[in-house]
Amino acid sequence: MAPEVSSLAQTPVTAHAFSPDRTQLAASLNSNGVQIFSRSGADWIPSETLSEHDKLITSIDWAPNTNRIVTASQDRNAYVWQETPDLETGKLIWKPTLVVLRINRAATYVRWSPKEDKFAVASGARAICICSFDSENNWWVSKQLKKPIRSTVLSVDWHPNNVLLAAGSADMKARVFSAYIKEVDERPAPSVWGSKLPFNTLCGEYSSPSGGWVHSVGFSPSGDVLAFVSHDSSINVVYPGGPTVYSVRMPTLPLVTLAWLSENSLVAAGHDCQPLVFLGSEGGWQLGGSLDDTSGPKTEAARPMGSSPVVGRLKAGAFATFRDADSRGQSTLGSGSGSSTTDTKLLTLHQNTITSVRPYEHDGVQVTKVSTTGVDGMLVVWDANDVTTGGINTLTGKVGGMQLR
Amino acid sequence: MDINFRKIDIDVYDEDAIHESEIYEADPRDPGQVLNEAKQKQSGVRALLARNDVAGALKTVLEGAPFGPGADEAKSITLQTLLTILNSTKSTDISGAIKQLTQDDHDTLMKYLYKGMAMPGWGDISGSVLLGWHEKLTEIAGTGCIVRTMTDRRIV
Repeated sequence: MAPEVSSLAQTPVTAHAFSPDRTQLAASLNSNGVQIFSRSGADWIPSETLSEHDKLITSIDWAPNTNRIVTASQDRNAYVWQETPDLETGKLIWKPTLVVLRINRAATYVRWSPKEDKFAVASGARAICICSFDSENNWWVSKQLKKPIRSTVLSVDWHPNNVLLAAGSADMKARVFSAYIKEVDERPAPSVWGSKLPFNTLCGEYSSPSGGWVHSVGFSPSGDVLAFVSHDSSINVVYPGGPTVYSVRMPTLPLVTLAWLSENSLVAAGHDCQPLVFLGSEGGWQLGGSLDDTSGPKTEAARPMGSSPVVGRLKAGAFATFRDADSRGQSTLGSGSGSSTTDTKLLTLHQNTITSVRPYEHDGVQVTKVSTTGVDGMLVVWDANDVTTGGINTLTGKVGGMQLR
Repeated sequence: MDINFRKIDIDVYDEDAIHESEIYEADPRDPGQVLNEAKQKQSGVRALLARNDVAGALKTVLEGAPFGPGADEAKSITLQTLLTILNSTKSTDISGAIKQLTQDDHDTLMKYLYKGMAMPGWGDISGSVLLGWHEKLTEIAGTGCIVRTMTDRRIV
C-alpha cells in the first residue's frame, strides 16, 4: 500500500500525536500552540488551537484510553488537556490543567505511562519529572529523577510494567530508571532489569561506541530489550542479561527517532529523511530495508543520473550545481532551464529531517502502520510491512559488519 | 576587543562540570606501552610499504591507535607514520586499500584525515593528498563516518 502523505504546514512539525480513534491529530507547528486537525477524507483540516503555553511546544502525547493530551514546552511547563463540556453551550472543549514541574530549563519530551496514571517529562534541567495526579488537591504533582543525569534529557520511553523508564540524554548515555511512585503503583514483578526497584534506581546505563547524544530510546513490546539511536549515526540494541549491546553503524547521517514494530523489528528515521527498518533478535541486528522507495523520482521531474541517495546529498542538488560550475564551467544558476534546476528535490518522500516516528496501527500482534513528521511540515503514514531494499542495496552491503560488544 | 576572558577555565568553578574521564572509557593500556607500540608500528609499516602492502600498513597503524590524555608523543608518531602511508600511496590504489579495511579502521582513518587537516600548515603533507583520501573514504564509508569523527571523544 502506498504511503498516505499530507502536508500539514509550511513550517516544521515539532511533535505529533493521534487521537485514540485516529480521526484527530494534535501537532505543534513550531509554535506555542497545539493545532488539532480533524480528518476529512484524505485531508487533515485544522479545527482547534490549544493555546496556553508561552514558548515552543516540544512534545505532545495523547493517551489512548483516557483521551487526555499532555504537552511539554520550552516555557518549562506541561499541561494536561481534558475534553469537558462547556458550562454554557454544552460543547466539548479542551480544558487545560497546569502541571507543577519545578524545573528551571525547557521541558523537552513527554510521554504517558502505559496505565495513563503517570507521565514523564524530560527536561534541560538534567532531570526527568515523573508526574502523578494528587486527587486531594486536584492537581498533577511531580517527583524528579536526577541522578546520575549530567545533561539535557532528550527522550523517554515507558516499560510496559508502568514502573521502569528509559531515558536518552545529551551526556551520551541511555539509561533505565525506576519511576516507582508508592501512591500510584503496585510493586512490579521482577524483570530482566532488576527486582528491587525503589524510585530513582538506575537499572542500566549504556552508550554507543563512538559516543554522541542519545536522541531517542525505546523498549521493545515485551520490555525486555532496549533500543537507542545516537548522533554517531548508529542504532544500538541492548539485551540486559549479558549485557549484550548490538551496535549497527550506518554510512548515512544520524537517526533521531525510533519506534518498535514487534519483538524483532523496529523502524528508525532521522536526517536522511527516510524511515529505515531494522531486523534482529538476540543473535544480532541488521538493517532490513527502507519504507520509502527511493529507487526512482517521486514526481515527473527529471533526476540527474548517477546521483546516489546513499551517500546523502553529497552528489546531488546544490553540490552538483556548484561542482559543475567549478569543474566544467557549466552554470545553471539563473538560466532557468535544464534538469539541474529541479534537482533540489530529494528522492525521499520527506524533504527534510524526520523528527518523529510513532506507531499508528496495531493488528494485535505487531505494529502495522507508523506515522512520521519532520522539518518539512509533512505527515506520512507508512505501511510497516512494505519494506523495500531497492534504493538501499548498496547500503545493506556496507552495513554488513555487525558488531558484538 | 579583549577576548582573553575566553581562555578562563570556567569549569573549575562548577562542581557539576562534566570531565573528560566521564565521557568515554579511558585507554586501558599504560602510556609507556602505547608509546612502545607506536614505535614498533612505525618500523612495521616501513617494511610493509617496502612490499607495497598499503592496506596492511594502514591496518597496522589504525588498529589500537592511541587516544586520550597523556599519549601525546605516541599520537604524533602514529600521525607521522600514517602520513607516510598516505603520501606514498598512488591515487589509483587508494580505493582498493580502503575497501580492505574494517568499519573501525574507516572511522579511525577519518579521524586522522581531519587531524591532518587541522594541523598548522598541514604539517609535511599537501592538502590535495588528504582531500583525495577524504573523498575516496567518504565514497566507501559514507557520511556516517564523518559524523562519527565529530561525535567520538576518543580523540586521536
